Amino acid sequence: MSAIATKPAAGSSQDELYRDAAANHGAALERLARAYEADSDLRRDLLQEIHIALWRSFQNFDGRCSLRTWVYRVSHNVAASHVLRQRRTRVQTLIGLEELENLADANSGEEAIDRSHMLNRLLELIHQLKPLDRNVILAYLEGMDAASIAEIAGLSPGNTATKIHRIKNLLARRFHQRNDHD
Amino acid sequence: MTEHLNPVQELWQSQPLEGVKMPLEEIRRRANKFEHRIRGRNRRETVGCIIVSLLFVYFLFDTQSILFRISYGLFIAAMIWVAVQLQRKGSIKSLPDSLGASSSLHFFRAELERQRDAIRNVWPWYLAPLVPGYLMLTIAYAFTFPHFARLMGVVAFDAAMVAVFVVIWKLNQRAAGCLQRMIDELNAAE
Repeated sequence: MSAIATKPAAGSSQDELYRDAAANHGAALERLARAYEADSDLRRDLLQEIHIALWRSFQNFDGRCSLRTWVYRVSHNVAASHVLRQRRTRVQTLIGLEELENLADANSGEEAIDRSHMLNRLLELIHQLKPLDRNVILAYLEGMDAASIAEIAGLSPGNTATKIHRIKNLLARRFHQRNDHD
Repeated sequence: MTEHLNPVQELWQSQPLEGVKMPLEEIRRRANKFEHRIRGRNRRETVGCIIVSLLFVYFLFDTQSILFRISYGLFIAAMIWVAVQLQRKGSIKSLPDSLGASSSLHFFRAELERQRDAIRNVWPWYLAPLVPGYLMLTIAYAFTFPHFARLMGVVAFDAAMVAVFVVIWKLNQRAAGCLQRMIDELNAAE
């Protein structure tokens, strides 16, 4: 992913914008699909749906926000719709960051765990969250700053800061990581 | 974007990926296919209403009783009403093109509100239009076959229909309430 969220040149065509987005954010979109869908077949469908929605959305891209913000909004919105659709067929109850913070970690006490195990635990944790909180934690994991997260999620700066604080504490507790950002 | 990544962010961003790429031609093809599918589904709903209406048109011309004719006429009018509402509301919609212009919170809330309203409004635009036809059919039976046992059968059938409508309404109200709680949570988070 590009470090700086640049605005594309005026007059960029739908195809060019899509190529740019896919080249710079393709990996992040794949990670996002993993965070929203655990089943590999459904995940592939979701990723395709995101790419198609992204391409279609560039017909209306007016450059009022950065390409990165646009890409994240489209992809999160498609994924949130996917979660809503799946809600009807799945019994799993999604919870908020606040509730997750208070839940005991089933894996606590484990010391040395390999990276793939840790990644699976991280995905399990993300899969429990409601779409909006999932959006915030993913943007945080992608390394975005609070202002970008607030712009994508549509939260107030205060609420965004609170959620990020909770995410840092949660991750620090669950992954025995020193919370050196507070 | 922050330059310094903590270990969990680093773990997340360095996870192995399949490297899925979708060529533009493939995207265009699938987008067209998807649109065709949506249009096909909406068309099938309309065709379903037309078939049921034609069935009632057949009944309408098949009977000599004016009361039954009025009843079948009311059912036809109800089916036309439902078909028009299906077209207007687009019961199965593709995602809006303005996806990128809405923040996640606004989009998610709008989706929840759309679902809530669709559930709440199912009574006035899907079930209620059928009621006059049913009532008229009951009256037609009462006048045409004034035998007590037969009449009781019709009344029992109507009572069962009312019970089904009430159960559907109750379930919908519960689902709408659940969606409303999610909307309230989002409003509080804004």
